[in-house]
Amino acid sequence: MTTTDTTGRAKDKAALRAPIARRPFFKLSDFVLEAILLAIIVLLAFTAPGFASWDNAMNILRNAAMTGIIAFGMTFVLILGEIDISVGSGLAFFGCLLAVVTDSMTATGWSAEIGVGAGVVLCLGIAILAGMFTGWVRHALAVPTFITTLAWMAAFRGGAYLLTGSFPVTPYPEWFFFFGSGAILGIPFQAFVFLLVFVVTWFISRYTVFGKSAYAVGGNAESARLSGINVLGVRMAVMAMIGVFTVLSAIMVSSQIQAGNPTVGVTWEFTVITACVIGGVSLMGGKGRVWGTFVGVLFLSIMLNGMTLLNIDEYWQYVARAILILGAVLIYQVQAMNARRG
Amino acid sequence: MMGPAKLEISNLTKAYTGVLALDDFSADFDGGKVYALLGKNGSGKSTFVKCLSGAVIPTSGEIRIDGVPVRFKGPADANAAGIAVVYQELSLILDFTVAENIMLGRFPTVGPGNITVDWKATNAHVQDILTSLKIDIPVTRKISDLSVGQRQVIEIAKAMSLNPRVLLLDEPTSALARHEINSLLEVVRSLREKGVAIIFITHKLNEIRGVADYVTVLRDGRMVGTVPIDVATPKVIVDMMFGETTLKSRPADLKVGEEIRLKVTGLKRKDKYEDISFELRAGEILGIAGMLGAGRSELLRGIFGADAIDGGAIVLNGTEVRRPTVARMKTLGLAMTMENRKEEGLIQIMSIEDNLCLASLDEVGQRGFLSHFLQAPVAEKWIGRLQIKVSDALQEVQSLSGGNQQKVVVGNWLNTDPKVVFFDEPTRGIDIVAKQQIFQIMWDLSRRGLSVVFVSSELEELLEVCHRILIMEAGRFIGEVREPENTPIESLYAMCMGETAK
Repeated sequence: MTTTDTTGRAKDKAALRAPIARRPFFKLSDFVLEAILLAIIVLLAFTAPGFASWDNAMNILRNAAMTGIIAFGMTFVLILGEIDISVGSGLAFFGCLLAVVTDSMTATGWSAEIGVGAGVVLCLGIAILAGMFTGWVRHALAVPTFITTLAWMAAFRGGAYLLTGSFPVTPYPEWFFFFGSGAILGIPFQAFVFLLVFVVTWFISRYTVFGKSAYAVGGNAESARLSGINVLGVRMAVMAMIGVFTVLSAIMVSSQIQAGNPTVGVTWEFTVITACVIGGVSLMGGKGRVWGTFVGVLFLSIMLNGMTLLNIDEYWQYVARAILILGAVLIYQVQAMNARRG
Repeated sequence: MMGPAKLEISNLTKAYTGVLALDDFSADFDGGKVYALLGKNGSGKSTFVKCLSGAVIPTSGEIRIDGVPVRFKGPADANAAGIAVVYQELSLILDFTVAENIMLGRFPTVGPGNITVDWKATNAHVQDILTSLKIDIPVTRKISDLSVGQRQVIEIAKAMSLNPRVLLLDEPTSALARHEINSLLEVVRSLREKGVAIIFITHKLNEIRGVADYVTVLRDGRMVGTVPIDVATPKVIVDMMFGETTLKSRPADLKVGEEIRLKVTGLKRKDKYEDISFELRAGEILGIAGMLGAGRSELLRGIFGADAIDGGAIVLNGTEVRRPTVARMKTLGLAMTMENRKEEGLIQIMSIEDNLCLASLDEVGQRGFLSHFLQAPVAEKWIGRLQIKVSDALQEVQSLSGGNQQKVVVGNWLNTDPKVVFFDEPTRGIDIVAKQQIFQIMWDLSRRGLSVVFVSSELEELLEVCHRILIMEAGRFIGEVREPENTPIESLYAMCMGETAK
């Protein structure tokens, strides 16, 4: 009954040959959300006129992509136990900044390509620095990210109006509209970006040291620190990452509306958080899956699309959204309680 | 006042899917007596507590209080029937005063509509309760200003304020230092006079001697027996708890080498410790003894880089470090298991597998990539070597017992391939078998030439395990025991109290 061999790192060959713990490959209770979504799709296909068509499916994807990209970044933010409520304003600000930079560069004789390029670089730089700052004050001064991003929310919205004088700025050449309205093989360009960001963030969350560190920091930051994990680095990187995704989304929205408009993105932060919550991401930190968010984003988009096709009043759509959020959270809580009871 | 209470339990059984947590348990507990309830982890103690507190409903069997059968649908029923439970984890509100905490939910009121709290009556009433229990803590003091031991005493006072017939104390001393334990046991002794039946659950064999009248032992969900305290020698108790087991002592073949692994000179941190110098050699197991608040944990945390230091030098494996950080010290071969494993050692909602790889994520991963297939062999190895009892390495670590959680913490750090390992109170709240396994791990490390620093509030553990013991008081080393095997516990205890300095 005694241990005789207790030291040495487990990377030696003998250990690597050890059998790997088997986990159940498929458990129906892990796919409740997917099953409900499937049922709704089938239901809408029979009831909503025009739902079951290629064009409508692409339309759903196009709409899902804009908020969905940010939602993948938000998933990491929530896993850390943080929140970012500045993404809607950020969307407007970066869209306006891009437009204004392009406008003034082309006005001074630069080509539109260089103008847009410079604008994107500037947007990314600001987004990354702002995110790193948020992560740093969270870590060093224990300022909740809710407060810091509340400030960014005001700053970005104000900045968007100041940059544009509250009028849409329209400096873009024809080719720029591809990002928002173009398609490859009949599939909207945004859908590709959406899928790409999904795959990348899914991979990070499951197969990288960084992803595991994010779960650890969200699960218990003190234990993570005392295990030698770079907590500050993780916090800064995650807050910067959602900034980058916000800029990506801003580019596509600008392209779609062919302008930098300071009024876009209002309440987007809540749409994004809603998608994450439907997907089972916990606001308490440490729990959540990128796949869940992916399904959550589609769930929300399909529901809204279906209700519009069914001619359901816009105000009732808010009620439906409320039921969706509460219903999802209740299901997850009951599941968690059952799991705890064993 | 009613006469002495009587709690009778007949054939109490609680079945979970596939497991009998309590199996036909019968016992009587008389008022005015203190029963020490012993049993190793998983013996059914906590299920017993849950049945009595109304947290779970027994599958079959009967509970009678003063001859009246009772059935609980929830904790409120148990309270109403006269059963009060004081848990290990404190339930007090830190920003409230002693009086507010005790009267919470039933404040006396005055004025129109009876919506104004009568603070005068509240404080006076609580003062009466404390006086009757011989507790000398001001009722208007905030809980956050009290020591852990005082908080535990207030917790008991709160339970007693409901005038229970039966009081269950679930490991009330597990977080306390020795002098605090003594004042808590004093309070328990005074409760006896009130005719209450007291069931005192603990892991510590030595402290029951001063307080218990009887020892009741559980094993595998069954009642093994109740014996009067004067016949309950440690051998009798251990035999009852485990069947037949022998306690181990330090193997003779563990040699202290010549090479100095860790050299600390003039280390200080303001208001915590100062003028700390010591050397640690290869293979050596160094104990640090002292009372709670002597600065032992703070010292280890300072060297490990968990907290800042204000001065002094650390030489670890030949490298001088002036500003330690956890990441730096980890790279240099230092590991540390934290005193507070739940909050600082583990991530409760992550899997056992993840927790075993936490400190070595960079090494387990390959160029920043990580997967279940890289982690699983690591988990498999430590679960095997440290004999961690798990059915599935992917279940959350919080599902494990204290002893197994502690082993996960140890495995997490051993996987960083350390040269020096600090153990800060590794045996707190775990059963004797798990303790012996932790000692065995330290001895194995020593045999392999690793150095160990072992901090414990249990002095006999230090004597049993270490090559050498340093005694710390008020942030300084005040003595040293060079031959622990030839040192009686009484003299180590006296040294820790600062009565004699060697």
